[in-house]
Amino acid sequence: MARVVFKNVEKEFVDGNKETFIAVKESNFTIEDKEFVVFVGPSGCGKTTSLRMIAGLEKQTRGDIMIGDRVVNKLHPKDRDIAMVFQDYALYPHMTIRENLSFGLKNLKQPKDVIAKKVKDASEVLGLDHLLDRKPKELSGGQRQRVAVGRAIVRDPQVFLFDEPLSNLDAKLRVQMRVELAELHKRLEATIVYVTHDQIEAMTLGQRIVVMNKGQIQQVASPTDLYQKPENMFVAGFIGSPPMNFIDVTYENGKVMMEGAQFVLPEHSVQALRAYEGKKLVLGIRPEHLFGEDITMGVPDTYSLTSTVQVVEQLGSENLVYFRVGERMITAKLHPDSDARVGQLKKFLLDMSKVHFFDVKTEKRTSI
Amino acid sequence: MVQKLRDHMWAYIFILVPVLLFLVFTLYPIISAFMMSFQRYHVLNPEWIGFDNYKTMFADSVFYKSLWNTFLFTVCTVPVNIAITFMLAYFIFQLRTKWQTFFKAVMYLPAVASGVTISLVWFAMFDPTKDGMINSFLGFFGMEPVMWLSQTSTALFSLMLMTYLGSHGAGIILYLAAMGGIPKSLYEAADIDHASGWAKFSKITWPLLKPTTLYLLVTGVIISFQVFISVYMMTQGGPDFATTTIAYLIYQTAFMFYEFGLASAQSFVLTAIIVVVSIIQFKMFSTDVEY
Repeated sequence: MARVVFKNVEKEFVDGNKETFIAVKESNFTIEDKEFVVFVGPSGCGKTTSLRMIAGLEKQTRGDIMIGDRVVNKLHPKDRDIAMVFQDYALYPHMTIRENLSFGLKNLKQPKDVIAKKVKDASEVLGLDHLLDRKPKELSGGQRQRVAVGRAIVRDPQVFLFDEPLSNLDAKLRVQMRVELAELHKRLEATIVYVTHDQIEAMTLGQRIVVMNKGQIQQVASPTDLYQKPENMFVAGFIGSPPMNFIDVTYENGKVMMEGAQFVLPEHSVQALRAYEGKKLVLGIRPEHLFGEDITMGVPDTYSLTSTVQVVEQLGSENLVYFRVGERMITAKLHPDSDARVGQLKKFLLDMSKVHFFDVKTEKRTSI
Repeated sequence: MVQKLRDHMWAYIFILVPVLLFLVFTLYPIISAFMMSFQRYHVLNPEWIGFDNYKTMFADSVFYKSLWNTFLFTVCTVPVNIAITFMLAYFIFQLRTKWQTFFKAVMYLPAVASGVTISLVWFAMFDPTKDGMINSFLGFFGMEPVMWLSQTSTALFSLMLMTYLGSHGAGIILYLAAMGGIPKSLYEAADIDHASGWAKFSKITWPLLKPTTLYLLVTGVIISFQVFISVYMMTQGGPDFATTTIAYLIYQTAFMFYEFGLASAQSFVLTAIIVVVSIIQFKMFSTDVEY
């Protein structure tokens, strides 16, 4: 296995009107050997382009890409020692599963017995051994996905690349395959680069996550750090479901003021926000860090705001309660026994130890 | 039942029109022609003669000659034309979209023109004097003028040459559509799978184009078995029956000798041959075709 390095990598596309569009900007990161790294972001953020540049299916406009100790800028995909699982699986429809799995090995002119053994081993690992003589159209979505993974495994590459491999599966199967992929990573001890737009997939699979938006890397961090210490409002809003709530506030004399409420901040927050005296800020708080006054879960009612409940979604394990603060719709994830109902004037408590403040202009998180 | 009929009345009315057209203009003529093949046909007084027309047909050496010519024409044109069509489509597919559109239009143009017009153009090109287009071209290489359509050794080949150089438009459009339908990711997967250019062609492109190839083969054979216009316009089946095809023989028997019964018998033999050949083609090629 090997590490993957991006050094100042940029990718530009020229559209039909001959206008240049920058798909990936100034990208710098290192994926360590045997690490499972997930690229996540909305459509068009440059995550798949980044993956395809590692594969050699797109050539970067500027910068260097290294796989292991080699700069692979000019290498053909076949010479990069990578394997890729495509979003549509890209299985050869006219070949049997056995032929699909062995296609790459045959092209490498490996001996027949070696090919047979590798196909057998991979198919056993993935539970495909009884399907080897079938064609892809005779398999279910999950089985096809396994074949695509199998085709990557038999090659024993330095780096595995996954391009949204679960996006064509139904929700239940996606969960099952997610677990299987995590187990596979443990078993293979492989370097895996995985692209998804699904943040739950990213959080559950990735040892580290690269969050991208508009071609730029927003943050590279572990799932926990991304969740607890988002570097900017985009990451804070993208990671977490429901997303983090943002409330417009003004900071003055150790207090934050918002529509309908004002709080005196604890001393450490006051120190950190000294530079924002008299300025506007955005307060970020996750839905699970808001509580109803009926079930406070031990949170003191020092910091509270009152608003009318707009919508209540009962999910069984929790209630999602929506209310407004100023122009913004706020979501609170309350205990399922909460008495919140639509139209009720309700007091919500904020767990201030979990609150973030963001600069209005740069959208970056302040140091607290 | 009545209620059901009433519910679907408009559907039946709409279906009735094409069904009536089919019955009157297709099924009735077929049955009528089949009956005619057992008759000495006369408008007022047809005479039932059993299998006599078939016996006459199978005893006629010209019939066998025309069958052989048709077979030769088919074997020498259909596979070659499919190969030419495929190669042209393959090269056009590599071009940018606007050039693809241009070449599709250019290649399809002969299909829009009538067969008669095309034949007249070719008739001029095959002019046997040294001023004929093809002969003057050969003259550059010091070759003597060839009487393309007037000698038995070259007449049928001349008709074949017409198809080699002119009837690829529809096939190219079908192949281009099929090539465009092959997901790009298959080639990308093959790139990563160490496939060479030849491997990508032979293991991905060609197998996935088999349905289109089969379609072109079956329709090509059917059209080729019925080749008529070029023979009628350019050689009238001659010289010495060298270009008499089965379709031309049927025309000759019916409209020159007014033997409608015999012509019907010849038509049904041609139909039977086309059906059998088509079934064989499907049996041979369709098993590993991916639809």
